[in-house]
Amino acid sequence: MSEVRLQVVNLCKSFGITKAVQNVSFNINKGEVHALIGENGSGKSTLTNMLTGIYTIDSGKFILDGKEIHPANQVEANNEGVSIIVQEQGTLSGLTVADNIFLGHEDMFVKAGVKNTVAMHKKAAQLLEEYGFGRIKPYAMIDDYNFEDRKLVEIVKATYFDPKIVVIDETTTALSQEGREELYKHMERIKKQGNTVIFISHDLPEILDKSDTITVLRDGVYIDTVKSADVTEDDLKKLMVGREVSGAYYRTDYDEKISDEVVLEAKNLTVPGLIEDVSFKLHKGEILGFGGLSESGMHEVGKAVFGASFDRTGEVKLADGTQINDIPTAINHSIAYTSKNRDSESVVMNQGIGDNICLPSLKELANKLGFLSGKKMHDFSDKFAKEMSVKMVNVDQFVSDLSGGNKQKVVLARWIGKDSDILVLDSPTRGIDIKVKQDIYQLMDKMRKSGKSIVMISEELMELIGMCDRIIIMKDGKINGELARSRDMDENTLIGKMV
Amino acid sequence: MTDTKEISKSPKLSDEQKKLAMAKNIRAALPIVGLVFIFILFNILTKGGMVSGLSLALSQVYVILIASMGVFFIMTMGGLDFSQGSIMGLASIAVCMASKSMSVPMAILCGILTGAVIGSINGFFHVVLKIKSFIVTICTMFLFRGLIKFLTSKAPVGGAAKLMDYDTMQLKLGVTIAVLIVGFVAFNFTRFGIDLKAIGAGELAAKFAGIRTDRMKFLIYVLSGAITGFAAFINVIKVGSVTSSGGNQLETQILIALVLGGMPISGGAKVRFMNIIVGSLLYIVLSSGLRIMGLDTQTMQLIQGIVFLVFVAVFADRQSIQVIK
Repeated sequence: MSEVRLQVVNLCKSFGITKAVQNVSFNINKGEVHALIGENGSGKSTLTNMLTGIYTIDSGKFILDGKEIHPANQVEANNEGVSIIVQEQGTLSGLTVADNIFLGHEDMFVKAGVKNTVAMHKKAAQLLEEYGFGRIKPYAMIDDYNFEDRKLVEIVKATYFDPKIVVIDETTTALSQEGREELYKHMERIKKQGNTVIFISHDLPEILDKSDTITVLRDGVYIDTVKSADVTEDDLKKLMVGREVSGAYYRTDYDEKISDEVVLEAKNLTVPGLIEDVSFKLHKGEILGFGGLSESGMHEVGKAVFGASFDRTGEVKLADGTQINDIPTAINHSIAYTSKNRDSESVVMNQGIGDNICLPSLKELANKLGFLSGKKMHDFSDKFAKEMSVKMVNVDQFVSDLSGGNKQKVVLARWIGKDSDILVLDSPTRGIDIKVKQDIYQLMDKMRKSGKSIVMISEELMELIGMCDRIIIMKDGKINGELARSRDMDENTLIGKMV
Repeated sequence: MTDTKEISKSPKLSDEQKKLAMAKNIRAALPIVGLVFIFILFNILTKGGMVSGLSLALSQVYVILIASMGVFFIMTMGGLDFSQGSIMGLASIAVCMASKSMSVPMAILCGILTGAVIGSINGFFHVVLKIKSFIVTICTMFLFRGLIKFLTSKAPVGGAAKLMDYDTMQLKLGVTIAVLIVGFVAFNFTRFGIDLKAIGAGELAAKFAGIRTDRMKFLIYVLSGAITGFAAFINVIKVGSVTSSGGNQLETQILIALVLGGMPISGGAKVRFMNIIVGSLLYIVLSSGLRIMGLDTQTMQLIQGIVFLVFVAVFADRQSIQVIK
């Protein structure tokens, strides 16, 4: 009934010794939302990056509407009718909104070598209006807009020319509910036009709800293609992991009393333009959640507690009275931090896994004279990397070779090695697959039970509800309410306080 | 877990791993092979002139060996320093002037202090005012070169005669080896080296891992200036006096030496202490070899330029293309 739009034929890609995609073949039809799922490092992004000219193909081919394509870059891919909305920031700083939308396609506004900026702005304004993003101005610098709005600009950029295939790579995790709704609307529109969406997400309910067909990859190998209507979430988990996954994901306890012992107190934290007068107490053995829209300031709260904010006023005080004002003090007083911006702030990308794990613990690893032994460092990092089951060749491997989930495991291994008592986890499961997610939740529960305190900042409401003893909701840089753990809490209660 | 099992059970992986490791080893060994090759080549070309002129060649290697260590630290962090020649010139003048009225140890100290002060100026502009290191150090290079020219405009600045007593191979070799050993131990067996490499590989992440990156960067510029200020003493006991061109082009010589030694320009985790030693020796063998062959300065510069380009092309780390800080 439906026609084939894209044939993936015997596709292969390796990075060094890692076989990211191995001999993958399947078909994608016209007029469907085709989801690609699989755990971290299963090859989803690698595959779509080859399709859109970000990576080169080692062997195999893509056949689009009967014609083989091998785009060398994104502009060529656009010309073939393929576009992508990437996982990370896909717009370029320092350019205007209109420049970003038409990047690589400015030629359509060029006459006799001169670019008609007025025409370009007019066209961009018209497009933004059509998409319902009229509040974004084409002539404004892209930097004037927040992450979410920039993603909306990317939606326009990737779809205005009605491409045959639009790849949406893990975009929804970075968007608020509102932003997601916008995205879903446009996915539906693309589908109606008879074009195809390739949708990558870790959110299985979302996948089941929004896609027609699902292809599962595991460790770079093709597993199966199924109809969304025929499967359940558990079926998908089983296909992805290759074994049964038990349903219990989050903590199961309720009504547990929070200890009275305060381990950290934040008073009147203010960072100009980001947060205002934020005060809270963190108790021993507690998981304190922070929720809100991504621009609500909640991410800055994590930085402020870790002493990493620029220009912060107010105080962060530990139980013994120590003030935390800079990162080294925070680390020395047993505070750990994982950033939302994993690649730039959490891991040193072009360095080995071993050094990454050892960095905060170098003082403990050194002998009395300050000398470090390579073997001791190796054993230390190997132990904690294995404890977190980081998928690696050895600890000398560079972190840049690892998938998102494995990078996060390295970050967590670092802080477990340091044995920190207070953990500030900003978006700990961002872009991470179910198995690793489950590992992280279990780890958090274990830490909580052993008396460690956790601040969890997340845009995923379900994990806040499932894991936290208390949830503080942020709005416009201020605290806008606090909710205690309860069975009856649902997403709408939180959303109500967020917007 | 399944992950670890998979790795251990797949023998194919380790084969490819070996291949990759071999490629890495070949790359690492290339500068050493190059050193031996060039040494033999020049000996053949000059009919043994290289070996007989060895002590002359060696007499130039000390200054470069010592001074390049400081730049090595800076480059490990992903920075650059073009002001080394001017630091050398000015510190040499300081040593000469101080030697006339003070004891030799005090004169050495004056050289070190002069270098450290210039280093702290570099550090201040780079770290506090956040200007890219190569811009800052190119500016200070010109600035202090001007000062050197002013100080030497009437006549070269000469040192006290007692300085000449120190011009022995034992002293120079001993001091150089001592400095290198201290640097080697600090770089490989303390957190100093790990911190530097982490800053080079990802400054923001290094900061979030608890390294005081700004303080470290500033101190390294001061240290690098101080090290070159110390090398100025070795320079002065050899040449006796400083002219307006004192220390000229040292920065380029150091840069070429480090790159010849296989140092990645953008620094980071792939940096090895070995780069200093192999690189300095390679550079000295190359330049003195060319000189013994009777080439004039212009031709030598031409050839050095070509060799430099070829090495940068071979060793550039294209995987982690980074902007030099």
